[in-house]
Amino acid sequence: MKKQIIILLLIFIYGNILVSISQVEEVFSRGIEAFEEKEYSEALEYFLIIENEGISTPDLYYNIGNCYFRINEIGKSILYFKKALRINSNHKPSFRNLKYVLTFTKDKQSEKESDIIAVAWDRIINTFSLNVSAVLTLFLFCLIIIFINLTILKYRNREKTVPLFIISVLSFIFIIFFLISFLKWTDSYKNNEAVLISSTAIGYSGPDEEFTRVFTIHEGMIFKVEKNEDNWSLIKLPNGLGGWIKTAHFEFVSS
Amino acid sequence: MKRGFFVLSLIFIYQFFLFADISVESYVDKTKVGINDQIKLTIEFTGENANKIRTPDISKIRGFTNLGSSSSSSSNIVIVNGKMERTVTKSFTYKLQPQKEGTFLIPPINVRYKKQNLTTAPFRITVVEESQEPAPPTSNKFNRNEKKQSDKLTDNLFLIAEVDNRNVYKDEPITVNYRLYTKYDISNLSFAGEPNFNKFWKENIFTPSKIKFTRTNYNGMLFNTMLMRSVALFPSDTGNLIVPSLELLVDIRTKPASFFDFGSVKRYTIKSKSVGVKVKELPIENRPQNFSGAVGNFNFSSKISDTEIKVGDSFTYTLEIRGTGNIKHFDMPVLPELQHLRFIDPEVSIKINDNKISGTKTIKYLVIAQEKGSFTIPSISFSFFDTNQKKYITKKTRSFTINVAESDLSYIPSSSAQTLVQREGSDIGFIIKDTTLLTHIIYFNNFFYWLIWFLVLLSIPISLIYMKEQEKLSGNIDYLRQKKALKILKKYMKKATEYSRTNNVDFYYAIQTGLSSYLADKLRINRGSSAEIILSEIKHKNLSEDLYEKIQDIFDKCNQARFMPGGFSEDNIKKDYVLLKETVSEISKVKF
Repeated sequence: MKKQIIILLLIFIYGNILVSISQVEEVFSRGIEAFEEKEYSEALEYFLIIENEGISTPDLYYNIGNCYFRINEIGKSILYFKKALRINSNHKPSFRNLKYVLTFTKDKQSEKESDIIAVAWDRIINTFSLNVSAVLTLFLFCLIIIFINLTILKYRNREKTVPLFIISVLSFIFIIFFLISFLKWTDSYKNNEAVLISSTAIGYSGPDEEFTRVFTIHEGMIFKVEKNEDNWSLIKLPNGLGGWIKTAHFEFVSS
Repeated sequence: MKRGFFVLSLIFIYQFFLFADISVESYVDKTKVGINDQIKLTIEFTGENANKIRTPDISKIRGFTNLGSSSSSSSNIVIVNGKMERTVTKSFTYKLQPQKEGTFLIPPINVRYKKQNLTTAPFRITVVEESQEPAPPTSNKFNRNEKKQSDKLTDNLFLIAEVDNRNVYKDEPITVNYRLYTKYDISNLSFAGEPNFNKFWKENIFTPSKIKFTRTNYNGMLFNTMLMRSVALFPSDTGNLIVPSLELLVDIRTKPASFFDFGSVKRYTIKSKSVGVKVKELPIENRPQNFSGAVGNFNFSSKISDTEIKVGDSFTYTLEIRGTGNIKHFDMPVLPELQHLRFIDPEVSIKINDNKISGTKTIKYLVIAQEKGSFTIPSISFSFFDTNQKKYITKKTRSFTINVAESDLSYIPSSSAQTLVQREGSDIGFIIKDTTLLTHIIYFNNFFYWLIWFLVLLSIPISLIYMKEQEKLSGNIDYLRQKKALKILKKYMKKATEYSRTNNVDFYYAIQTGLSSYLADKLRINRGSSAEIILSEIKHKNLSEDLYEKIQDIFDKCNQARFMPGGFSEDNIKKDYVLLKETVSEISKVKF
């Protein structure tokens, strides 16, 4: 009897999930239709409904970014492409569009460091998304365990040099992948990156308008937020300039 | 002493005031002038320090153009009774040209000099159309046969703007000739300025480079005439437009009055009368769709260099528009897109005749055949507004059929025509249409992900335990026997069950062997040990009396059935089988 109730419950929950998924897909396809008819703000509304449902995929963020670009909200557009890339740093369409949209900003964004090692490290880090590297790590772990088990079971009375060599090589690769995954994982929890969404913002030397003006930045600027205080935030621009701007002017890439 | 100093200083101050006194006077050479004449305005200052006066500002004078000024000064020293008096006269002379007819007031002109305000008297000047100056005598050449000879300057020197058409459509060209008629000896001619051709596209047709007159008859009188300027105008607006007037500076040589007089040159400014032109909008009805603003009269034709070609070969396709009108100011007809034929960007040339309103516009396409087959270049139409027939006319070229044959060459030498695909614009990528709308799961935060890790890791202790067991088995035969004992027992039990069903004597043999070897294995004694030895060994173990007796009973029964004659009866087998089953199940629970 108990078993039956549990099974019924499971079926019920699963069914609910299915229904909500099909509803979301309906909204999504309406968004696509609106976009194809060049009704960009309507399409945006649909996509934002899906986002409010708690669904966060890079593809959805990419579409939202596209809509914002079409209705000339460059800041929001950049924000959403960044969001897509935060989830999947290997999301090629978002990467391309972000690069394109960034040419529309008034302020020049920071250039990547030309340091070879930094570039190489960046490339390695960004080759796989967090999940892919997590799966690869697990796969390598399984391989190592299989080899260890084989060594235990089959090489009991034999020379163990070969399996041990294989295991050590695998372990080395495994450690690298584990480190990459771990770094990416901790990176994804660093939510200090933000994008300016209002058309201009003035940076002051302190959290009030009476302080000295330090800089003026324009919509679409990407920067790091270091501190929050009331309605003001201390930000650091890519070129190293720091200043306080009003918190209402920007949005965090990770929400 | 003090008093003397005071008197002296008084004298000095008096002197200073005396010398500072300056008087001013102004006059003009005439108060009635013709519009083309000039007046001379002179302002004269007299006084000891008149030299130091700056040029007076005459910008307050309205209705006249200041053509330039000059200044002169003279000084006069008179000594009377040993007292010296010095008078300086400074005069400024302005040349003024009236701008329009009417009566004008030359206002008082103020000059300040060392707190002294000097003001000239105002006077009136009347400007009339006729020149008030005596006209210079006309050239000898015209004096002979003429009876009615006018002395007036305007009758003998004038500029006429000849417009070929005063009622035109928008963009229809008109030609304006500015022609000078004169009876004077003219020593020099120059333009006073470029007329402002507002609301017209202007094309210069002719501007003379040297003075060259021809004789002509104008209204029954002979004149020297010269074309001063010729322009083609394309009205860019509708309504009553004004063709602006041209202004000329004419230098006329006067005849010498006597042997010692070499004559002089006098400058006159003359202006042509402005001419109004009525410009109509092009009719809207029946306007063809492909009308691109061509107005005039045109011929439209096309030419092709070759119609039988091979793949990869090229030919030229030429469109030509020839005619009169605004040939520079309209777009060319558009060529439709054609597959298999590659049109290289055309070469457009415009040849305009000297009259600026007729010419030829040529578009030359180089076409490369890319595939074999028969293709048609369709007829192309060109529309224009015919100003003579006052309607839109569409002309069409003939269409061409081109036969492209297979090329002998094994490859198409298209490299000369091939170019890298050019980027024509950039935009963001299109949205993604098919995607799975599931919340992105981060595996690192997922319980199942780590569960897999744990399970995989768990396999190591499992295999270690398994290994340990294996080692135990291989290192200890008794242990192995103990492990295998039950298996053997089961094998014999199976046999026994079969025999009991068929009431076979072998039943007892099977249970004896099975049970004894099972017990031997468990007790770790030799397999072949007799029942007595087994039983005595069992006694040392902790077995219940009941079970011990049962085992003993089974062994006895086996011996009876096997070795005692008549000890075997079919009835007993069923009973013994039940007993055996009970015993075995009890034994297997015992830990030896």
